[in-house]
Amino acid sequence: MTERLIEQSVAEWLAQHPSQMVVVTQDTPLVTVVKLMLEHDSRDAYVVEGNRVRGHLGFNKLLNYLFTQERPVHSHRQLFSRIADISVVDIMDPHYAYCRPNEQINAVLHRQLQHDVTDLIVLATDDSPVGVVKLTEVVRESLQ
Amino acid sequence: MLNSLFLNLGLLMATGLLFSLIAAHFNLPRIALYALAGLVWSQDLLGGVFGLQLGAWSESLTAAALALIAYLIGGSVTAKQLKKLGSTILFCTFGEVLGAAILVFVAVAIFLNGQADAMLLASALAVLAASTAPAATVAVIHEYRSHGPLTTSLLGVVALDDAIGIMLFSLFLVWSTGIAMTEVFASAGLEIGGAILLGEVMGWCLAFFGHRVRNPHFFLPMVLSAILLSQGLASIWHCSPLLTAMSLGFFARATFKSGGERLLAPVEYLEELVFLVFFTLAGAHFDLDILLSGFELVLLYVVARVIGKMLGTNVAARLVSAPKTVQKYIGFGVIPQAGIAIGLALSLLSHPVFAESGLLIVNVILASTLIYEVLGPFATRYALQQAGEIRESRQ
Repeated sequence: MTERLIEQSVAEWLAQHPSQMVVVTQDTPLVTVVKLMLEHDSRDAYVVEGNRVRGHLGFNKLLNYLFTQERPVHSHRQLFSRIADISVVDIMDPHYAYCRPNEQINAVLHRQLQHDVTDLIVLATDDSPVGVVKLTEVVRESLQ
Repeated sequence: MLNSLFLNLGLLMATGLLFSLIAAHFNLPRIALYALAGLVWSQDLLGGVFGLQLGAWSESLTAAALALIAYLIGGSVTAKQLKKLGSTILFCTFGEVLGAAILVFVAVAIFLNGQADAMLLASALAVLAASTAPAATVAVIHEYRSHGPLTTSLLGVVALDDAIGIMLFSLFLVWSTGIAMTEVFASAGLEIGGAILLGEVMGWCLAFFGHRVRNPHFFLPMVLSAILLSQGLASIWHCSPLLTAMSLGFFARATFKSGGERLLAPVEYLEELVFLVFFTLAGAHFDLDILLSGFELVLLYVVARVIGKMLGTNVAARLVSAPKTVQKYIGFGVIPQAGIAIGLALSLLSHPVFAESGLLIVNVILASTLIYEVLGPFATRYALQQAGEIRESRQ
């Protein structure tokens, strides 16, 4: 076993590993969201309204909607979403995983794995987004 | 004697899976091979030799599996998406459903005129004629990369008509379960209104728990428990079980307000299992004597349903001044019939009123499904080609 526990708070981690988060508004076209995620090498985007996060979008989920026509099999749900134009707000998950700045990084890692989130959003006490904890960074640090 | 539930079910599923490998290897329609796997265990073949028992367990299993499908169909669309579908899709869907149902009813009623249960049989086949098989249509559209107004309308119609088919079937069951005519309307109101109300309340409860459950491993048990609970309550309160499940799916998604990954995706993974069970069970109910005695009925059903769907869509498309290609060819694309019709037909076996005719209906639907499975893709490809929506390189 070569991995080690990172005994740092999320706030300390963010100060040492600043990462840009992908935040979009509710009317952002799906293609734009995907392009932003590719640009930031991110697999998670967060939908904001004002200063509040309203939902989460995963990369694979977005691709499933964007490339429905490439699938030889559709569920009824995919059929309807293919013919009725959908927007970010229709497919975002309003119940997303997040963490607080005072939490420990090693406690957050489990949440990222359980929810299959690569960029876990960090919310301040007023629920405004302050950054993201990148799973890849945590794993890289842990394996050093 | 193979009278163990688990052994019977395991044999059917294992044979179905084995046959699906053959289907994948030779690029054959897998549902036809599922049915063939079931047929191996029919009473005329191995089922008779080993004494395979298809009793009450298969009826309960069919009911639960149909509830899952109805839940998925109900949750597949939101009110906002329905509004966006447009008049062509809505009219063509009602056109093909009504066209097929009316023509099948008239043709079968005339054919069986004078026989006992003629009206019951004609009505049952008429409502079963409504649904189509989106999988076959989507596969052709994908293979030829078609694109255009006909493709879009076709996708919308095959998505929507299963929901209408289930509603029609539920209304038919209310009518056919032997209640005096004077009580029909009160009973129908209770069964249908009660089902919608029960589904709405259960959907709200499911969304309520969906908001609070964080662990993804609990999503499937949460949804399954809501479906089973709603089916149990529907049974106790004499509400339509299929409408309850559909209403549960629709209201759960509407209340939860998301793409449905949490409440629908876990059950979508079970869809193939449900179709495997439907087709192997239907195949196991195959009876050569019944099929031979009703072979003319199979042909009549196949032809009447196709003509009904073509006429219905054509009239509906003209009414809304749909593009000429849609008016002329959409009927060719809605021919396939598969899992939902089989499942609904199987569910009739549990109703005493279909004690005489239930097996005939299952065999007619199974045989016609196999015919449509062969004809359907050719007809869809023809329609897309004629409409000029297939990319040149794929023609």
